[in-house]
Amino acid sequence: MKAEAPRRPSGVEALHPLTKLTLVLVAAMAGAALPTTLAVLAVFLGLLVPLAAWGRCLGAFLRTCLRVLLPFFVSLVLIQGFFTPGPTVLMHVGPFRYTLEGLQVALLFSARLLVGLGAATLLMLVTRPDALMRALVARGLPNQIAYIVVTALQIVPTFQARARSILDAQRSRGLETEGRLTVRLRAFAPLVGPLILSSLMQIEERAIALEARAFSRTGRRTSLVALRDTRSQMFLRWVLLLAGLALVAARLVLWRAA
Amino acid sequence: MITVSGLRYHYPETDRPALDGIDLSIEAGELVGVVGANGAGKSTLCYALTGYIPHFFGGTMEGEVKAAGHDVRRTPVSQLAADVGLVFHNPFNQISGARYTVLEEVAFGLENLGVEPQAMRARALQALRATGLEDLAERSPFTLSGGEQQRLAIAAVMAMQPRVLVLDEPTSQLDPAGTRAAFEVLRGLARTRETTIVLTEHKLGWLAAFVDRLLVLHAGRLVADGPPRSVLAEAVDQPWGVGATQFTRAVQAARLRGLVAEGTMLPVTLEQALEVLR
Amino acid sequence: MKLELRDVRFRYPTGVVALDGVNLTIESGEALALVGENGAGKTTLVKLLNGLLRPTAGTVLVNGEETRRQTVAQLARFVGFVFQNPDDQLFARSVREEIAFGPHNLHLGEAEVRARVEQALDDVGLGAAIERHPYDLAVPERKLVALAAALAMHTPVLILDEPTIGQDAQGVERLGALVDRLQAEGRTLISITHDLDFCLMHFDRVAVMAGGHILADGPSPDVLRRVDLLRQAQVEPPELVQLAVGLGWATMVRTPEAFAAQLAEGRN
Repeated sequence: MKAEAPRRPSGVEALHPLTKLTLVLVAAMAGAALPTTLAVLAVFLGLLVPLAAWGRCLGAFLRTCLRVLLPFFVSLVLIQGFFTPGPTVLMHVGPFRYTLEGLQVALLFSARLLVGLGAATLLMLVTRPDALMRALVARGLPNQIAYIVVTALQIVPTFQARARSILDAQRSRGLETEGRLTVRLRAFAPLVGPLILSSLMQIEERAIALEARAFSRTGRRTSLVALRDTRSQMFLRWVLLLAGLALVAARLVLWRAA
Repeated sequence: MITVSGLRYHYPETDRPALDGIDLSIEAGELVGVVGANGAGKSTLCYALTGYIPHFFGGTMEGEVKAAGHDVRRTPVSQLAADVGLVFHNPFNQISGARYTVLEEVAFGLENLGVEPQAMRARALQALRATGLEDLAERSPFTLSGGEQQRLAIAAVMAMQPRVLVLDEPTSQLDPAGTRAAFEVLRGLARTRETTIVLTEHKLGWLAAFVDRLLVLHAGRLVADGPPRSVLAEAVDQPWGVGATQFTRAVQAARLRGLVAEGTMLPVTLEQALEVLR
Repeated sequence: MKLELRDVRFRYPTGVVALDGVNLTIESGEALALVGENGAGKTTLVKLLNGLLRPTAGTVLVNGEETRRQTVAQLARFVGFVFQNPDDQLFARSVREEIAFGPHNLHLGEAEVRARVEQALDDVGLGAAIERHPYDLAVPERKLVALAAALAMHTPVLILDEPTIGQDAQGVERLGALVDRLQAEGRTLISITHDLDFCLMHFDRVAVMAGGHILADGPSPDVLRRVDLLRQAQVEPPELVQLAVGLGWATMVRTPEAFAAQLAEGRN
């Protein structure tokens, strides 16, 4: 997730967060609804990849998608290939038969997975979570929920930074962290302990800090950052949403088999 | 601006009172220091003045605390926050975590207060300038050092322009230059905006130079209240655990050797020490 | 246990050059204080001494061996480190377990570990807290637990990062007495501190740092009297130095008692 503020908003980053959210949601819906592997891949290559390129994060996007997808892809290809019954046998391995139909099922599944992953990854790469939260809060999402989501997303970088400090501190006391498994296991409590304990302690003080910023105040709130929304974007969102719903309806009614 | 009468407080499930009968009155624009040994009740007093006691910590509270026109026991903390600000002890946990840049972090409180965006930006930038953080405006708050985070906490509460500002050891992570800057900012607020400021500290030298009034807490009681010099001079003969500046100790040692007249009031600052010794 | 930095340069991955040509030799048994504003390079320097950081250029030697060739855990036998934030290391269910952690890593016998734990707690004045959960203690006390944990390792070198922050007068006094005692035992002490008065009283040697360099390095009364140098490093002179300079004295004093003695001599 973006933890640093963008220096100059690129094309995609200048879009309203809800537009970005709608885009990826509809892409995910299309990925789940369309009946053939090629159609689903077209969503990935024709919608998500260009968006990532426009957002100047194509490299990170592709790396993340492929890295997460790979293990699933491999197991899908193997399992579906060997265990889906079908007439066209591609090869024999001992008593097991690898079918074309199985391979096709695996490819379709993988494509759908890829689009889902791509949608989530793209959203994370091109949207600042606090901008998204601001947009949702402006439309009625309770402040508290928005806060929980934003801080939950910050947890990983915060934990990473703290984990480094903790690792340094414990190594300086003679804790070995490299070597046999038993050595590493012994290092678990001294490394994870401070992280969890101090995070729990932090909760109370964090709550006080929030109160000190009038977080629970009822009444009008303003925003330092104005989120630019344009008519064309609003129109686009409605169109996309309708298209997405239409696809889902088509899937349920027309394309039952896939 | 602040009135405390008969304040007595027990943290939940404790026998010993953390505050044992405090009576206190502070005017608008005063800059007041609070000293005492660890455990004497300094942090507890800070929480009591700002409403976290009793609203946040529970426990049993007797007596009355009024700050910026609010009865602290009756007004919920979210409403108090606009008028009574708190910068508390641990700098690492005072970042809200809701914002991704230092500037937005400082503006966060103002957003909650419904301040208009233009005024908000101006106030936030001013607070950052006052605490020397304007170059870090676009950084993520989590990448700041301990000292920078402490200054950020001060800036964030300052920007809300409360009428009363309570700070619990606000310079603990700061180097001498940062400490000086913090004290100067606070003095400026007290003088120009008539903000009532209460801060707890261990750094006696700085308090002696900047505050007009010093309170001493000992075992939950207020045992001294007056100008820094007379309070700290008295403290050397008391078991309060307050300590003393080296100026005080040097002259005290000289007095023991008969080099300084017995009745002389011990100095707390350099100027006072030189005056006594010449 | 001699420590040396030879022409050391250190650059963080972000590009920040924290140390730019530092030469420092610390002989066995010395007590050195490092002063200077935040960002001057003090923490970077001490982290080079226990192997947490390796120099970008130059050499760091601990007891004649380059730190590059040793792991942090190996160096931990010789160089103890007390960090500024105690919550980075506290993980045990009791203060006793916490302090025993280091000695256990050194593979010492149970009796020895127990003795060290009790001694270390005694040194920091927290004997009564031995069975308490570290997080039940207030922050300044947790700092003392972290210090006790390092003391229990009996390392010949001990590095302290801002030991007096948050301590009250009694706590500072106790720390001062501890520093004096450790020195008398022959341990090498290195401390980062902003408390110049504490520094003058308890450390014989001071190095003033600014912008990744050591501006001055020598006996504390001599270095800390150089008021202009200290101002350049954004540091305020100790109160006793201010007093001596204000009285026009040529010789500095390190304690109030020494002040009174010198005042008496001057009057006679």
